[in-house]
Amino acid sequence: MNIEIRNLQKKFNDNEVLKDISLKIEKNKSTIILGQSGCGKSVLIKIIYQLLNYEKGTILYEGKKNIDIDKFSMLFQYGALFDSLSLSENIAFTDYMDNKINYSKKVKSLMSDVGLDISNYHRYPAEVSGGMKKRAALARALYKNPKVIFLDEPTTGLDPINSDLINDLIIKVIKKRKITAVTITHDIKSAIKTGDNFYFIDKGITQEEGRCDNILSTKNKIFKSFITGARY
Amino acid sequence: MIFIENLGKFFISLISGVGKLILFIALFFRYFFKPKFYLKINFKYFINVFISSIPIIALTGIFSGMVLALQSYTGFSRFSAESAIPNIVVLTLTRELGPVLTGLMISARVGSSIAAEIATMRVTEQIDALKTLNTNYYNYLVTPRVLALTLAMPIFVTLVDFIGVMGGYLVSVYKLGFNENLYLLNTINFLSLNDYLSGIFKALVFGFIISIVSCYSGLYSGKGAFGVGSATTNSVVVSSILILFSNYILTEIFF
Repeated sequence: MNIEIRNLQKKFNDNEVLKDISLKIEKNKSTIILGQSGCGKSVLIKIIYQLLNYEKGTILYEGKKNIDIDKFSMLFQYGALFDSLSLSENIAFTDYMDNKINYSKKVKSLMSDVGLDISNYHRYPAEVSGGMKKRAALARALYKNPKVIFLDEPTTGLDPINSDLINDLIIKVIKKRKITAVTITHDIKSAIKTGDNFYFIDKGITQEEGRCDNILSTKNKIFKSFITGARY
Repeated sequence: MIFIENLGKFFISLISGVGKLILFIALFFRYFFKPKFYLKINFKYFINVFISSIPIIALTGIFSGMVLALQSYTGFSRFSAESAIPNIVVLTLTRELGPVLTGLMISARVGSSIAAEIATMRVTEQIDALKTLNTNYYNYLVTPRVLALTLAMPIFVTLVDFIGVMGGYLVSVYKLGFNENLYLLNTINFLSLNDYLSGIFKALVFGFIISIVSCYSGLYSGKGAFGVGSATTNSVVVSSILILFSNYILTEIFF
């Protein structure tokens, strides 16, 4: 699905978080949104997902202003798994809530896709590691076969080995399922590894855009200083 | 000047808070009457609230009844009216102390836990996750809690009434030397159905107040650990004040 954002503005009381954001998310491509912590990246994807309202600007989904958000899915920064439910119940949340009982096969297949051992099927989020929570959250995000997946800092809180594993997993899953992916991160290494296109946001404005394999050859001074100051 | 400015800010935030709460209640009823009813979640939550609250309810009842009997004796013995103690104990418990004390205890025990749980869910983006999973958080979070507490409160109050009367009975019979049969007979004969029902009606109202205020505090909490703490405190303080205030209004109605 192609998504186009034009001159987006968002305020929280007097704080103007997004001043002028314009970007294009291409169908079946992996778009990375880069920026310092607190620059409004999470706010931006929540607006695109229609979880937050915005003041000004236009968002077009396949050229239209309205979209059924059931086609979207999101991996939250810390997983956002429900503590009172087991991993399998979390993954199959909507079917579990509707008292459907035949979700086990699909859940096991997804667990296998994201590298989660089946022995974790009945475990609760508090009983597994951060990396496993991320995998379970990714499986939950994939459960409804989304057309677009939003990934909010997918490697935050993980050690370098687990970060690499999650990045590999994301590439594999996106390619296999032909999903449009929008990832927000401040990790340049992850951006180069998992992305096709990138947008760099600073002070509420889209400062730079391009292809991820050209990130390091940027001439934009602000973006350069972000890269040198960022983890790489 | 700063004082007036702060006073103005306080009143604006108070009015805005009341407005948001009214809107929240209106939305609760909107989704309640066209629900996607999660029976499993509702039942699970009711059992959870019920079982976890029984010990505190039993303790509230027994000590209230015992203290009431002792204090009534201190007063009534001064003009030889000790025989009125069973009547006073049962009447005070069913009409007043039962619902109010239960309301305050449940607000501290269950209300605070609801507010902390929902506020933590908000801080950890679980509420947003619900939206992305096409689940209405009123149906998933608010309705089960409001139903559980509103339905459980009359049962709690009935238990407090019964255990309280038994507490009064124990003190009166074994410490103050009352005749055990006479005490029970006086209690049963004096109590009218209206006394009991007025307490039960209060319990329903208090249950609704506690659950709505706690859910609201959780859902509109601030960020981080401070936000969770404030939500918990607010839920207990606001519920308690509203319980005491509405108790007066309801007592006026049932007087």
